[in-house]
Amino acid sequence: MDLSLTPEQEMLKAAARRFVQQECPKETLLRIASPDETTPLEVWELLAGTGWLGILIPQEYGGEGGSFTDAGVLFEELGRGPVPGPHLSSGVLAALAILEGGTDEQKRDWLPRIAQGVMRVVPAVTEADYWWFREDVRMVAAGDGDGYRLRGSKAYVYDGGTATHYLCAVRETPDVAGDVGLVLVPGDAEGVKVRELAGFAWNTSEVRFDDVRVGPGAVLGGGFQGGWEALERGIGKAIPVVSAFQVGGCQAVYELSVDYSRTRIQFGTPIGRFQRVQDHVINLVNQLDAARWTAYEALWKLDAGRECADAVHLAKAVGSEGYYQACNFAHEVHAGVGSMTEYGLTLHTAASRTLYHYLGDPRFHRRKLAEALGL
Amino acid sequence: MDFEPKYTEEQEQFRQEVRGWLEENVLKEIFHPADPADLTWEQYQLRRDLGRKLGAKGWLWPTAPAEFGGGGLDVDRAVVIEEEIDAYGLTNPPYYDSGGRLGGASILVWGTQKQKEAFLPEIFTGAVRTWQLLSEPEAGSDLANVKTMAIRDGDEYVINGQKIFVGSSLGCDYMWTITMTDPEAKRHENLGWFMIPSDLDGITVQPMDLLISGGESGAGSGIKNTVFFDNVRVPAFNLIGGENEGWKVATTHLELEHGTGGRIGRNWLVDRLFEHCRNNPRRGEPMTKDPEVRDRLIDVYIEAEIVRLLNLRNYWMRHSGANITYEGPQASYLRKTAGLRMAGAMLDILGPAGLTYDEELGAAEGHMEAHARAGIVAIHPGGTTDIQKVIMARRIGIGREVRETAGTLS
Repeated sequence: MDLSLTPEQEMLKAAARRFVQQECPKETLLRIASPDETTPLEVWELLAGTGWLGILIPQEYGGEGGSFTDAGVLFEELGRGPVPGPHLSSGVLAALAILEGGTDEQKRDWLPRIAQGVMRVVPAVTEADYWWFREDVRMVAAGDGDGYRLRGSKAYVYDGGTATHYLCAVRETPDVAGDVGLVLVPGDAEGVKVRELAGFAWNTSEVRFDDVRVGPGAVLGGGFQGGWEALERGIGKAIPVVSAFQVGGCQAVYELSVDYSRTRIQFGTPIGRFQRVQDHVINLVNQLDAARWTAYEALWKLDAGRECADAVHLAKAVGSEGYYQACNFAHEVHAGVGSMTEYGLTLHTAASRTLYHYLGDPRFHRRKLAEALGL
Repeated sequence: MDFEPKYTEEQEQFRQEVRGWLEENVLKEIFHPADPADLTWEQYQLRRDLGRKLGAKGWLWPTAPAEFGGGGLDVDRAVVIEEEIDAYGLTNPPYYDSGGRLGGASILVWGTQKQKEAFLPEIFTGAVRTWQLLSEPEAGSDLANVKTMAIRDGDEYVINGQKIFVGSSLGCDYMWTITMTDPEAKRHENLGWFMIPSDLDGITVQPMDLLISGGESGAGSGIKNTVFFDNVRVPAFNLIGGENEGWKVATTHLELEHGTGGRIGRNWLVDRLFEHCRNNPRRGEPMTKDPEVRDRLIDVYIEAEIVRLLNLRNYWMRHSGANITYEGPQASYLRKTAGLRMAGAMLDILGPAGLTYDEELGAAEGHMEAHARAGIVAIHPGGTTDIQKVIMARRIGIGREVRETAGTLS
């Protein structure tokens, strides 16, 4: 048993932390997040330069060939920002789905470009009836010569606004028993329309496909059969990394809250002296640690090649709930100051809500956990 | 990271040795009453026998120093022993021995060489069972407020006072006891710890009538007692850590009691609950097919997993010498509150079958009924949940001017 990081992981952690501190101060993140933002990829170019986008992509495809725990360490630090994507969508989830289901040619063609950050492949899966089961995919890609025509809408595409490509989950026929495949669609193809969803949603878009034509080579693995299963395996491996990102978010709002409760003076004393306030900080650190250790155990199980379905569902259920609650408790500690945009806490609050349901919310994963436990 | 002990070939061989030994020495007659208060004298003796045999092998306190009767084994072997004993639903020692665990560790840190030689071998070989005596009528959460008085008289101390909520059924050999040693001195500078032989004149043990006491399976205390000291004369040699130095000893004791030691065992109660729901029908189907039952079982499972992982983290932190701060009381707080919430889930899942140990109708041989009571009572021993939160806040560095450090552990 050894719950410490390796020296290499400690170095990665320190480098990633420096990157977030230097390149992603809250002023930058607030600017990126503002509605009239014109340079959403400002941080992306810098991130691409680090090589970290390919952390889970094998070296033969131009990546770093890191372990899942390596990726967890990196994304925990990015989560402290929280640094906006599409690093999780493209570098982790899309890359894993392509590794699971792509042809050799697709892997050689797509993965190196994903690792370099020049291709930003964002999975477009969920529709207006939001849920992450296979039967929830209704959009159809009708055969058209040797290619396909996509017609329909993908609602709630996380990172949809910063994609160069979409990995779109579609069926060949409306029959829900039929196969679901994954089709790569360039974002600049004719008929693709992206609409950022205004409000509290974090980096979430609707992506419409109005008669978008793609060639046969765009279908992952060369056919629809097995496409959904590849995505699902990819999701299973991506989730603990997403959870680690949530852990980083929890850690950041915990540190903000501890700091604030030590420095904010009311009634002539730091508010942290009040047990009511302490309760919020303690509830917060309990959420943080639950999220942390469920995430890292799942990452370890992935690396060790263990059976891990239960650990993965546990990590997402606990991580999503944890980040969500951690932000709520942080707001309790900060009161009015926490709701001021310029303070920065709301960056996390927004991220915690969207990541709560990304790749399935706690209810979804509790259901899957019950199945994994054989109940 | 590695969440499992890496078993070397040597360890696997050791596991075979332990497993084979336990197969021969854990008698089939050992069983776990749902309420530890039902532990009989005969059952207790079986467990003590097992403890002595484990002690002779150095397996009762595997990591305690061999020079004082412990096993002198490394953590890798201790883990194997703990896992194998846990597989029988037993703890190690296989009986309530709070004073052995906490007093033993405290004496290792604060005792003189002669005291270690005098007290530790009996503990570490299983020759004696020791209770810890802390709480008093006026000293619950506020332990430093103990009034039991120890006044020096020649080579002895004379002890008078009353302890409450202490011990177990079926007696003990020693009482690991915190007292006041100077009524004039300042708070925290007026305390002293004693190892008190339980057969001295003037000690009266009076069982209490409580909702329940004790904990699941192998180490439940069964009952709690009031202990009266009436001019009890204890050799001055038995004062551990020095007169008026008791608070520093207490930090060691409390650190362990607050869960910093961590553990790696399973939660047998969760297993029993799942087992019951799998094997019992409701409206013609296993209970586990009822969506609401599934939902509540997942509540229980998730909380038990979180507690397991934080105990594992603490175990690793302790054995790797990591700097522990709030983690001990955190594990204690979550274990206790999760236990009470589990009792609530059982009420939803089992209904009245979880509130009776009736042989015909009680769920899981009465183990669920026992937890319906124990989930409540377990909130307070070793510091209430609120106290755990107070300590966490101090260690996090928000409760006081200066951040509190954790106590010393051996």
